[in-house]
Amino acid sequence: MIKLITTILTALTTGAIYALMSTALVLVWRSTRIINFAQAGQAVLSTYVGYEITVRSGSFWVGVLAAMIFGALLGAVIDRFFMRPIFKRIKSGPILMIAPVVATLGLLGIIQSIIGFKWGLTYQSLAAPVSTDGYNLFNRVIAFSPFNLLVVVFATVSMLLLTLLFQKTNIGLALRASAHSPEIARLSGIKVDLTRTLGWALAGAAGGLAGMLYIPSSYLYPNAMDVLLVFGFVAAVIGGLESLFGAVAGAMILGFAISFSTSYISEKLFFPMAFILLIVVLLIKPAGIFSSKKSRRD
Amino acid sequence: MLTLTPSKKRTLFFVAMGWALLLIGDRIGELRQYQGSFVAMYALAIGSIILLTGYSGQLSLGHSALMAVGAYAGALSINNLHLHPVIALVIATFVAGLFGLLLGFGVARLSGPYLAGTTLALAVSLPTLANQFPILGGEQGVVFDVGLPPARFGENFSQYKWFFWISCLAVLVMLWLISNVVSSRYGRTFRAIRDNETAAALSGLNTGRLKVLAFSISSGMAGLAGGLLVMLISGVSPSAFPLSLSFSLLTGAVVTGVYSLKGVMLGGLVLVAIPEIADSLVTRIGGSEGFTATLPGFLVSALLILAVIFAPNGPGKLLHSFKKHG
Repeated sequence: MIKLITTILTALTTGAIYALMSTALVLVWRSTRIINFAQAGQAVLSTYVGYEITVRSGSFWVGVLAAMIFGALLGAVIDRFFMRPIFKRIKSGPILMIAPVVATLGLLGIIQSIIGFKWGLTYQSLAAPVSTDGYNLFNRVIAFSPFNLLVVVFATVSMLLLTLLFQKTNIGLALRASAHSPEIARLSGIKVDLTRTLGWALAGAAGGLAGMLYIPSSYLYPNAMDVLLVFGFVAAVIGGLESLFGAVAGAMILGFAISFSTSYISEKLFFPMAFILLIVVLLIKPAGIFSSKKSRRD
Repeated sequence: MLTLTPSKKRTLFFVAMGWALLLIGDRIGELRQYQGSFVAMYALAIGSIILLTGYSGQLSLGHSALMAVGAYAGALSINNLHLHPVIALVIATFVAGLFGLLLGFGVARLSGPYLAGTTLALAVSLPTLANQFPILGGEQGVVFDVGLPPARFGENFSQYKWFFWISCLAVLVMLWLISNVVSSRYGRTFRAIRDNETAAALSGLNTGRLKVLAFSISSGMAGLAGGLLVMLISGVSPSAFPLSLSFSLLTGAVVTGVYSLKGVMLGGLVLVAIPEIADSLVTRIGGSEGFTATLPGFLVSALLILAVIFAPNGPGKLLHSFKKHG
């Protein structure tokens, strides 16, 4: 019984972090048709900034705010001064398919090297603002701490805010319109390039938050978020890449699948499970669970 | 005047390459022979990416995993079946090809980000499977020993020269086969699918089957490269095939130009040269530990970005456009 509860709570915590990463990837994919591999680098660089601010100001919350603002700015700058110029030059051919992947991978390497130059490769730890000792349940300590609860709450709240932004505001309408049909959106007077950059900025902020929520239970080093990038990507693909709901649902499915298979079958299934789940989902629905055939554009 | 068909010209080119490499192998030191073997191995692996991406329009981030499949298959056939190393390399090729065939059936109808995601997950998860089966040796891995060079080559024939010979011969034979494939009917159909899948299907091509075929051939090439890689480092373990290997291969392919197999040696040379250049830069200018460890990655990434910005279609096309525009 305790094992079941612990497994579910672990699934929720990991799922929440994956959800932030997959949301970041989906936001960029929707607005620019780019899978942003640099997301891991942007998120970890934002977390380094958050870490410095936390150390200087003594407050974790100021650090979170700084990481999110820096993440948003970095995302906007990358889109405006890196991605847009590149895609003005590349128009056709097989390179068009791999250029986004290659460009963002190159950017990932550059960002991680810059972190290495500046902070070195040593592991740093970021203190959590609340206790990371597990709660007591029926006189036994379980693997779910006040900090894990905070992670789940923060991720849920930020998802709700994003949903409100997309569904209830004019900015959200512009973002949805530009993602759905850039040409028509442009004709309706929406500044499509600006909404693109806004998508990158939102994604950057989500990545910064993911980093600040993940690193206290791990360590901070240049490659700290690589695994999260892979799992966030897998979650986004499972969810169909098009909708925020799909991204969150995919992340939760992945979180539960990994948590249950590692605690009930074998710990070594951590990575293979992601692949097995992805293959099974894509064999049944090649464009992810929450996508209608119509909405899929290449 | 003697006229030659294109296929005979190609064969002559590869024979000449082999002859040249034979002469070069006699005249260089052991370190260069060792590095040369790596260049050949990387060239083959880059070739497998180019065949898949440049010729058939599919994108794979999982070729490090396919190399691992070939490497383990080769190691097991040497250690457990006691086969000759050359036969083990052939087995590595075929097992990886077969694996690619099975995988291809699963992924051939995926495109773009879905294919990238699946192969990425494969690259991350497959090497960890080695821990599940005792025969694969867990994190330590298993040895891959091709043995000493045959006695008839004489006593001065070093191990590194033997590596160099095996690598160059295997890579030349494989690339010769592949260059024949891409200039055959199959190569044309691959390119037709790459350029316009719908048009290719309307012209009566079974695009699904051809994409699986391309994936399988590419996997076989990667498997052979994987076998050669673990021969050079004398053992196979999960850590020999990190995700960054897949990314390096992609870098090599972009630097070479994904359209053409002609420059694969250049890509291999770049991948081997960059850590060397970074090392010599570091010894010259010094720097902190973080700087030293990060510089090679920085150079690879910078090269990748420069290649995408200034020569997205490869150095060949770049020169061509210079000529055209004066």
